[in-house]
Amino acid sequence: MSLATLTKDWAATSYGFLDASAKRELRRKMLKAIAVPGCQMPYASREVPMARGWGTGGLQATLTLVNPNSVIKVIDQGADDGVNAASIRRFISRVSGASETWDTLSATIVQSRHRVPEEIMREDQVLVLQVPNPEPLRGVEPNISIARQMHADADYGKLWLTLYEQIVRKGRIMQGASYPSMVNGRHVMTPSPIPRWDVPKLNMARHLTILSAGREKRLYAVPPYTRVEPLVFSDRPYLVEDHADLTCRRSGVSGFFMNELPQDGGGSVFEVSDSNLGIKAIDTAQGTPSEIGETWYRNGEFSA
Amino acid sequence: MLTVAPPDAVELRSNATFEALLWALSRPGDVRTLPEAGFGAIAETLVDLECSAYADTPVMREHIVASGATLADRIDTADHVFLSAPDTTGRQLAGISCGSAVYPDDGATLVVAVAHAGQRVRLSGPGIKDTTEIALAVLPGFWAMREMLCLYPEGFDIFFVDGDQVIGIPRSTKVEVL
Amino acid sequence: MAYVATRGGEKAIEQAERLFRQDLGTIDAARVETIRATMPYLIDRVMGEASLYDEELAALALAQTGGELSEAVLVLRAWRTTQPRLAIARPVQQHELLTQRRISAAFKDIPGGQILGPTLDYSHRVLATDVLLGKPFAPPSVNKAASPAPARQPSLADWQRQQGLVAPAKASAVSPEDIPDLTREPLLFPASRAHRLQSLARAETGGVLALGYAAMRGYGNAHPTVNELRIGEAEVVVRHPRGTEFSAGRVRVSQAEVTSKEKGGYLELGFAATFGWNEVKVIAAATLDLNSDEAPVGSAVHEEFYLYHTESVEASGFCIHFKLPHYVTFQSILDAMRDAKAKKAAAEAAGETYVAEPEEEPVL
Repeated sequence: MSLATLTKDWAATSYGFLDASAKRELRRKMLKAIAVPGCQMPYASREVPMARGWGTGGLQATLTLVNPNSVIKVIDQGADDGVNAASIRRFISRVSGASETWDTLSATIVQSRHRVPEEIMREDQVLVLQVPNPEPLRGVEPNISIARQMHADADYGKLWLTLYEQIVRKGRIMQGASYPSMVNGRHVMTPSPIPRWDVPKLNMARHLTILSAGREKRLYAVPPYTRVEPLVFSDRPYLVEDHADLTCRRSGVSGFFMNELPQDGGGSVFEVSDSNLGIKAIDTAQGTPSEIGETWYRNGEFSA
Repeated sequence: MLTVAPPDAVELRSNATFEALLWALSRPGDVRTLPEAGFGAIAETLVDLECSAYADTPVMREHIVASGATLADRIDTADHVFLSAPDTTGRQLAGISCGSAVYPDDGATLVVAVAHAGQRVRLSGPGIKDTTEIALAVLPGFWAMREMLCLYPEGFDIFFVDGDQVIGIPRSTKVEVL
Repeated sequence: MAYVATRGGEKAIEQAERLFRQDLGTIDAARVETIRATMPYLIDRVMGEASLYDEELAALALAQTGGELSEAVLVLRAWRTTQPRLAIARPVQQHELLTQRRISAAFKDIPGGQILGPTLDYSHRVLATDVLLGKPFAPPSVNKAASPAPARQPSLADWQRQQGLVAPAKASAVSPEDIPDLTREPLLFPASRAHRLQSLARAETGGVLALGYAAMRGYGNAHPTVNELRIGEAEVVVRHPRGTEFSAGRVRVSQAEVTSKEKGGYLELGFAATFGWNEVKVIAAATLDLNSDEAPVGSAVHEEFYLYHTESVEASGFCIHFKLPHYVTFQSILDAMRDAKAKKAAAEAAGETYVAEPEEEPVL
């Protein structure tokens, strides 16, 4: 053996940016995350050329999966042209040679911050969700060692109590996004800060969801056809945002999650949050038919 | 500011191997195709100096040493176990690492050469829409041993390799011998 | 349909970056070399926080970020991610360090002697404004000592152990290859001592100082005495595949041992070391290490608290991430709030009352 067997030719960076050992660690952890759905797996979380908190966890998962034949869609708040989504998508294609798309239907990997697309994802697609805080128990137990033990014991009493107290005090559960959800009947996870509207899309889904928190160094997964049940009381149904009757002022679509735009004169108008769904609707209306896939919500009702 | 090289052969092989393993484990019972037959590429994809691995053949033991991983002399101390000639009764697995409820990820990954034929089993659980049936050349004792060891979320995860075909059975899968 | 302030994402981010880089002008090798040669302590700080010892790359990182320190550290750490790990160096022993400076506040004199070495500690901190008036400042030459201090110095703690003042060192059963490595595995709690010290070694200097200072002022349970502070150079000894060990070069390092009270008949020692010469960091970090045991959960000296919150790249990244749009989550909160208000109004109209709200409510 010589020194040469230990080293390799100098290269400014590795393919897909991450070096081989970082990729192998992520692969091992992704497999374990799939084997125990919803359970947070710790990983080393390498630094990538983006600031922590800007999608570095999602990025490391995507960079491990990507190859030159991949087709990448990246959204932030539902939009493909959000500044950070554009930056991440450009970086992934630059270091991997993968193609870029805005179309959910043609993507092989969808990396997202805060939304699940409205079009139903297929069995061959991976959704990578960026996660700021992977710990659903943080609010009731800030110490991560204790919280980890609570997951091990399936001890979610404090979480249930908090939700119950909200009902008593406010008449409803006040949780906005990041709605804590039971996965495979065993581990409570935070589905990342997606709105309540999007959580049912993860339940018994056809696609694979990888959730990755780079700053907090935790990775977890929801395999296809896995139960994801928001924590609710049997006599208080799960409430998604009241957007079923809103209409997008630009594309005319209705029955999807909307962005509210406050107006000078008071009141608000709405635009569809899944921006490419809106673009497809506009294109179709203007005579360039653009295929809109089957959607999880139909006429504002979840029906997948 | 940045020049990125195209992927080399090893990179492409590892990427494709991982894709097969990822989907095999995500959809238990589905058969996926590896870029090449055997265990070599799987080890290359998953194992390095962070790991401890066990193998029952000299060739695989060489692969493990070359990867920088610690060569385990017993199944019990390995996080990756490669069995080319597994005991189909499952008895040799008695000591396999199953992790803990606090760290289920410490449970081992078992890669076994087993023909995708023979004893039929029905699978259900995450990754499976209702139920699915497959055939694997292991005896019912193998599944009994697995059930005894896998106290969910503790447990180990299996890849059954037959040539270049792979089937994944994670610990979350319920297996009924038919 | 995008972030309203910067619609047309891709063009906007391109131009925003150009604006930043335009202000910095052309970066060439000469600028990088000037930074490297004139700012050694800044370079040291950046290399320490980046866990990457390369003066030239650190200078380049400072040049291309205009000295934005957290950005410079991030650029270096990200570059580090792409590089393979070739070898694991032999652990450094204190008595093997090429020691430039070594002092103890615990004794008037110590075996091997107090060696002041290069420091501004006793200087008058006066701005050399003459330089701006055209009179360059040329440092006066150093008078050589009659007998130079030995290049290597014994460890004071070793002497203290021989005297029975410090608990005997436990022989480590861990081989160098098996020392846990924070850059290749996640930090879990309770952290191994190796992980704690590695995390402190790459911690943000200002953050460590703030929390270490809090401990010194009384928010910890141990007021530190500097047992030994050292700056020097360490050989990076690695093993050739044929088995021979050789030095791949030297790196500047700092280390501090602080002590306070007795425990079980011995003085307790807190320790810290880092790449580069950065005395304030190692003293503050060693103080945190000293205070860690028996620290109340959630206090500034509890290891989970200080290790998480002094991690430069994570802390700065999370802080600036709040600039990203959050309108989806905000919409979701707004929806729950409006509905709760409507429910409350309806309940009040029906003559029902709700339980009073608590002062603080957990946020999930």
